[in-house]
Amino acid sequence: MTGFNRRHVLIGTAAATVTARPAFAQAPAEIVIGALYPMSGANAQVGVDARNAFETAVDIVNGMHEVALPGAKNAGLMGLGNAKIKLVYADHQADPQKGRAEAERLITQDKVTAIIGCYHSAVSNTVSVTCEKYGVPFMCADSSSPSLHRRDLKFFFRPAAHDEFFSKGMFDFLDAQKASGTKIETLGLFYEDTIFGADSSNTQRKLAAERGYKIVADIKYRANSPTLTSEVQQLKTADADVVLPSSYTTDAILLIKTMGELGYKPKNIVAQAAGFSEKAVFDAVGDKLDGLISRASFALDMAGKRPSITYVNDKYKARGNRDLNDNTARQFMAMLVLADGIDRAKSTDGEKVRAALAATAIPGDQTIMPWGKVAFGADGQNVDADPVLIQYIGGKWVTIFPKSVAAAPAKWPM
Amino acid sequence: MTPRRWQLVVLFAVTAGFVAVPAVLRDAYLLNVLILTLMYAALAQSWNILGGYCGQISLGHALYFGCGAYVTSLLFTKLGVSPWFGAMAGGCVAAVLALALGYPCFRLAGHYFSIATIVIAEIGLLLVHNWDAVGGAQGIQWPISRDSWWTLQFARNKAPYVYLALGLFVITWLVTYWIEGSRWGYWWRAVKDNTEAAESLGVEVFRSKMAAAALSAFFTAVGGGFYAAFVGYIDPESVMTFRFSLLFALPAVLGGIGTLWGPLVGAAILIPMTEITRSYMGGSGNGVDLIIYGALIMFIALAKPEGVLSLFQRDAKPEAAR
Repeated sequence: MTGFNRRHVLIGTAAATVTARPAFAQAPAEIVIGALYPMSGANAQVGVDARNAFETAVDIVNGMHEVALPGAKNAGLMGLGNAKIKLVYADHQADPQKGRAEAERLITQDKVTAIIGCYHSAVSNTVSVTCEKYGVPFMCADSSSPSLHRRDLKFFFRPAAHDEFFSKGMFDFLDAQKASGTKIETLGLFYEDTIFGADSSNTQRKLAAERGYKIVADIKYRANSPTLTSEVQQLKTADADVVLPSSYTTDAILLIKTMGELGYKPKNIVAQAAGFSEKAVFDAVGDKLDGLISRASFALDMAGKRPSITYVNDKYKARGNRDLNDNTARQFMAMLVLADGIDRAKSTDGEKVRAALAATAIPGDQTIMPWGKVAFGADGQNVDADPVLIQYIGGKWVTIFPKSVAAAPAKWPM
Repeated sequence: MTPRRWQLVVLFAVTAGFVAVPAVLRDAYLLNVLILTLMYAALAQSWNILGGYCGQISLGHALYFGCGAYVTSLLFTKLGVSPWFGAMAGGCVAAVLALALGYPCFRLAGHYFSIATIVIAEIGLLLVHNWDAVGGAQGIQWPISRDSWWTLQFARNKAPYVYLALGLFVITWLVTYWIEGSRWGYWWRAVKDNTEAAESLGVEVFRSKMAAAALSAFFTAVGGGFYAAFVGYIDPESVMTFRFSLLFALPAVLGGIGTLWGPLVGAAILIPMTEITRSYMGGSGNGVDLIIYGALIMFIALAKPEGVLSLFQRDAKPEAAR
């Protein structure tokens, strides 16, 4: 038994020596930020793309770039003696428990200044609570569940819109179409049985009731389902004026394939992004998606109003061999917002970075997004994160709504 | 001392070793790995009661795990009931559920029983997913509260969770130990070896299976209650998927099915390996961690189908190979 104990003492001492590195008091050479994403399994591509988006953002912060984005002109973070940002990645495998454990490891072992993540809303949930317990800011780049910022967390920040903003944008668009004389009376909801699908469909149901649309199909399906035949059959029978899907990549592909097999061409699809902003979906079934409308945080053809988009997209494309999309644009921008906060905090102390982030004020034209500005409410949600609606026409996305940033009117029906 | 008594000495030594760990090991991440290892050892031990000793291979234990996690979380968040009682209540609900499901299912033999367990657990998952009163797909969030043994919430201190998981493991071990030497234990092994022969000798086969199922479900659910308190957030995907059912069976199968130490040995290999490879290799996104994981399971399955424990036994028990 003594041997057993001694060995643990030795391991323990070794571990203690490793973890007890002195914390650098001022102006560290490197600011470490943890990025928590799915790096394996069904959504591994999301993690790989996020990585390219973050590397692009860090490249712009660490180097000198003549572009209208926060932190671009100087090398590194001015407020911390031109310190460079270094990213550490971890894989949460879409599991809230693993996300929590990895967040704890990043905080205690890698001594990260902040954590950015996590794509899946359920994982962002546990990770943000862990960050709160350790007093480390959590930058919610791309999880859009509205429940996330309603938990009185002090260290939670989300620059992008949540699903209620998006759904509202979608219905504003439908109202505008209707006002211009198009017949839109019935809606078909189609959503996965996850936190994302539940939030999205709840909001859509509420808005439909408020604004006088009739829901003729309300279909919940099992996420990552092997077949959607009976669900699509129901959609086909209802034949709503607009189908509103809330689906991730694999289900989005399956949905469109099954529609093709069953000979159902919906009059219009207005998607809650997610899978419908992934390149994989358009690679697989893009030919069937001409005229698809999606809500978006981002559109490449806004470059006329946001010149930095072209610059950033070129850099991103050089890494990832694809254009920026809804997710990667949000990830890119969230990293810049976080870097800007750390820069102004002039410190890596969690409380100081939190205070600086809370005081964020980045004008919309300093972003690559359609947002009015970046400024967080007390709950950590950016209140000016206006979404846009985009339509997939001839293999390209065209911004169609709101009118102020629209490049063309909507093609209707699709 | 008899060989059986020696097992208790080994348990005492192992427990003492684990008790000492949080005193010398302060790293939250490594303690987290230890907690998960002990938790899965306890859960695999619970599974082992039905799967290993009674020979009824269940691949639906995630249902009982989820039952414990949900009952504990609901009682705590809605009524403020301490998770100590919540986990017990969850255990009782799961045991009753196991009896209700066992009544039709134990009329099925062998593989058909296993398939039924998978299907029933999937039904449970779908029901919870669509049941808004228990949070539906949104899950249940535990409020952030100050450190307390009453609510089992500890913000940064991992040591209490180590002791809780260890306690759970020791209790499931002791129960298994007691069963092994009792009349039930002999009955269950007889049922496992040859149901017809056992029945002809007067073993009450159906009652044996029901008792094993209830006991196994009870401890699995208590483990689920612990998990909910530990993670502080549950949703159907994170406590009730098929992945969990496999994770309860795998350590027992890997370490040695139907043995006292198999679940701990299996969990001590499996859990640190999956956690550490994911943490230090998973970030690359190339899946090396999962390749290593799969390769090890294949290697053990091919080289030692009786489980790792058989390496240390002078004459591998033929019954363990089943």
